[in-house]
Amino acid sequence: MINERDFLERAHLDRATLEVWVHEAWICPDCSAPERAYTEMDLARANLIHDLKHNMGVNDEGLDVILHLIDQMHGLRKALAEALASLRDGGTRA
Amino acid sequence: MKDPYEVLGVAKTATPEEIRKAYRQLAKKLHPDLNPGDKHAEERFKEVSAANDLISDPDKRRRYDSGEIDASGAEKPPPQGRYYREYASGAGHPYESAEGYADFAEGNDIFAELLRRSREQQREQMRRAPGADLHYELQVPFLDAVNGAVKTITLPQGGTLEVNIPSGVEDGQVLRLRGKGAPAPGEGPPGDALVQIVVEPHRFFTRDGDDILLELPITVKEAAIGGEVRAPTTTGGVMLKIPKRSSTGDTLRLKGKGVKTRRGAGDELVRLKVVMPKEPDAELDSFLAGWTPPASYDPRKEM
Repeated sequence: MINERDFLERAHLDRATLEVWVHEAWICPDCSAPERAYTEMDLARANLIHDLKHNMGVNDEGLDVILHLIDQMHGLRKALAEALASLRDGGTRA
Repeated sequence: MKDPYEVLGVAKTATPEEIRKAYRQLAKKLHPDLNPGDKHAEERFKEVSAANDLISDPDKRRRYDSGEIDASGAEKPPPQGRYYREYASGAGHPYESAEGYADFAEGNDIFAELLRRSREQQREQMRRAPGADLHYELQVPFLDAVNGAVKTITLPQGGTLEVNIPSGVEDGQVLRLRGKGAPAPGEGPPGDALVQIVVEPHRFFTRDGDDILLELPITVKEAAIGGEVRAPTTTGGVMLKIPKRSSTGDTLRLKGKGVKTRRGAGDELVRLKVVMPKEPDAELDSFLAGWTPPASYDPRKEM
């Protein structure tokens, strides 16, 4: 787990920007403890958001849509991988 | 590394605005996180990023154009260690979404069936998953480690654990006791207990591989004219013949008296140490005072 201070430093973010990203649910830290905790995955996601905003000129409205679609795409890829795995398994068992 | 202008597809005379546009265009197409199934995306994206890095900076661009630096120096790793796509394939993260396929998963077609089967398998695996391994540390006296022993650990959660220590166990070695770990959450077998052995030092034995080292003090007389003395081994005392004219540092080997393992048995190496009497001894003094060593007896002649 990464604490908020290290996260800001490693993601090259300022606190106000991160507040917005968390509020928009683009980044979902673990809030079970008094201090928010982040994962390496959150960090990679923050870097992706940065790339989209600053290197590809995506605005905040567009970002919301893109992240939602990316999450769906990964869900779909995972479901597809699972279905293929059970097909392969079923094949060896039959 | 290729020519950065070529990589970005712009002319040598391109304006910063044209370069920025070209880079954005390519980044949108090549970013690994926008192409999660394309293994080569990362390589190509890196190339484009490096090219952009070089010629979007006016200073670097000038130095590149004048031939001062070449493009190879620009290939640096991406700012982040890993891309988002490498994490997103995992399960149980807050960004998981089933919204892209929920309708397929609920249907009666082959995809739904396969997905159901895979999830059932996962549940089944969870049900049959073994319990966690539990780690313990056990202090073992030196001789017990050499000869083997049975020890009982009192567990912090109550109960005891009997540990069969094999002869020749080494410091730091981990013994695995099957089924003595935590019980399974479902119906699987319990985990294992992993017991790390800490061998306590001995008063006069030390261990070197499968050999036992011992320093054995002897008297001046034993050193000079030899004799039989009792030497401790890890399995009890044995009589040891001290040769005539032994010196401190001479080492005698007791074959097979070392550590016995499945590989065989090591030896005990007895290093002699001549010890003078602690109390004043007038007889010894006067005897040695009257003795003239021959010229050949010069232990420092090599110095």
